[in-house]
Parts: sequence; C-alpha cells; structure tokens
Amino acid sequence: MAEPLPSALKPIVASSEDLPTESPDGVDLTLIQWTLSLTPLERLELLQDWVDGLAELRLGRVAER
Amino acid sequence: MAASPSVRFLGLLRVLLRHGVELCVVGGVAAQLAGAPILTLDLDVLFDRTPENLDRLLAALRELKARYRDPAGRHIEPDLDKLQTLRLHLLLTDLGALDVLGVIGGGLTYQDLVHRTVVYELGELRVRVLELAAVIETKEQANRDKDRAVLPVLRQTLAMMNRGERGEGG
Repeated sequence: MAEPLPSALKPIVASSEDLPTESPDGVDLTLIQWTLSLTPLERLELLQDWVDGLAELRLGRVAER
Repeated sequence: MAASPSVRFLGLLRVLLRHGVELCVVGGVAAQLAGAPILTLDLDVLFDRTPENLDRLLAALRELKARYRDPAGRHIEPDLDKLQTLRLHLLLTDLGALDVLGVIGGGLTYQDLVHRTVVYELGELRVRVLELAAVIETKEQANRDKDRAVLPVLRQTLAMMNRGERGEGG
C-alpha cells in the first residue's frame, strides 16, 4: 500500500463556500486568478521576468562548468 | 553555437510598430496578455500580407537584423520573395526569437482574424492582439502536441474570464 502524501504535497481542498484551487484536470486556478488581476502590461512584464529569470539560470549553469 | 539573446517582447513590438507593420500578436504572448499564465520564449505575430505591409515588415526585420533560425547554422536573411512565398518565418533577431506568420491554425490570415482582435495599450504602444477564444481555436486547429499541452490552462482562463473574474483588458 502506498505511503500517504505529506501534507505539503496534498491538493488543497477548499470548502464548498470557497473557489476551488485546482481544476479537475490539474490546472492551478490560483495562478490564473492572479494573472487575471493584473493589467495587460503587468502580465507582459511578468512574462518578461520569467524569460529573464530562465536566461539567468542558464548563464549560472554554464558558468559553473 | 553562440548563445542567442533572450526575447524582448516590448522591444520587438516597438520596432515593428514604428515601421507601421499591420500585425496582431498571436500564440503564447497573446494568451499571456489575456491573462493566461503561459511561458513562451518567442513572440509570434500574424501579419497582413498586402504588398505595402510586406515592405514595412521587411524594413523592420532589417532593423532587427533578423535571420532564419537554421539548424545547419547558415546565415539566411528574409527578403521580399521569401516573405511573399513562405507561410511562416522562424527568425532570430537582436531582440530575440520572433515568429512571423502569414497564416495560423487551419490556414487563417490576418484579414480572417482581425475582427477577433483586441487592442491593448502597453505603455506608449497600441498593440493588436488575438482574443483568447480565437487563440484557443487556432491552437485546436493546429493540433500539435505543444498546442494541446497548453489548452487546459487557456480554457480555464477563458472560463474564469467569462465568469467575470476579469481578463482581456485587466
């Protein structure tokens, strides 16, 4: 029998009065709620931050070699 | 292979729009602008294929020092003939990866889709962007693995927008 999941990994089950945090197919709805709360320019700046962050990680990996 | 510059979304749009290119943003950036948390490493634009617009687009691409992303490492620059005859142009520029598309989805052109776009004000830029429902439809039509992979997030975003949880304009 499988070990029960640690509580940190268990899906957060909201009460019936709260909005669900995850869709049945596993989409993180809280992340969508957050990006929907931003302006279009803020969303694009967020995307640029993600891209820049990835580039920094790649540079870091190359430097260590 | 030398490291390529990471994409600068606003920088690319600034150059294209300064040259007066008639285009709409599609793909991952269009989805992100609508509120879908999608990571993409390039800017996809669908351009109007009129002769005048091809000239404007070519001028913008020359300013960006655009060249095709060629697995063999050859340096091939877009020209008017290629812009007229090829359906898509996967380019690398001084401001990162730019995909310039003449058709998307099941063969839809800029004229087919322009009535399904919204205009966002991004700083000083006014940018035409494919609306999220149309982004979803074109990805369903393209039906590649990478398109199917993001559809759940896009659909949930659209559903939340339609329930009034903001979106499109913020």
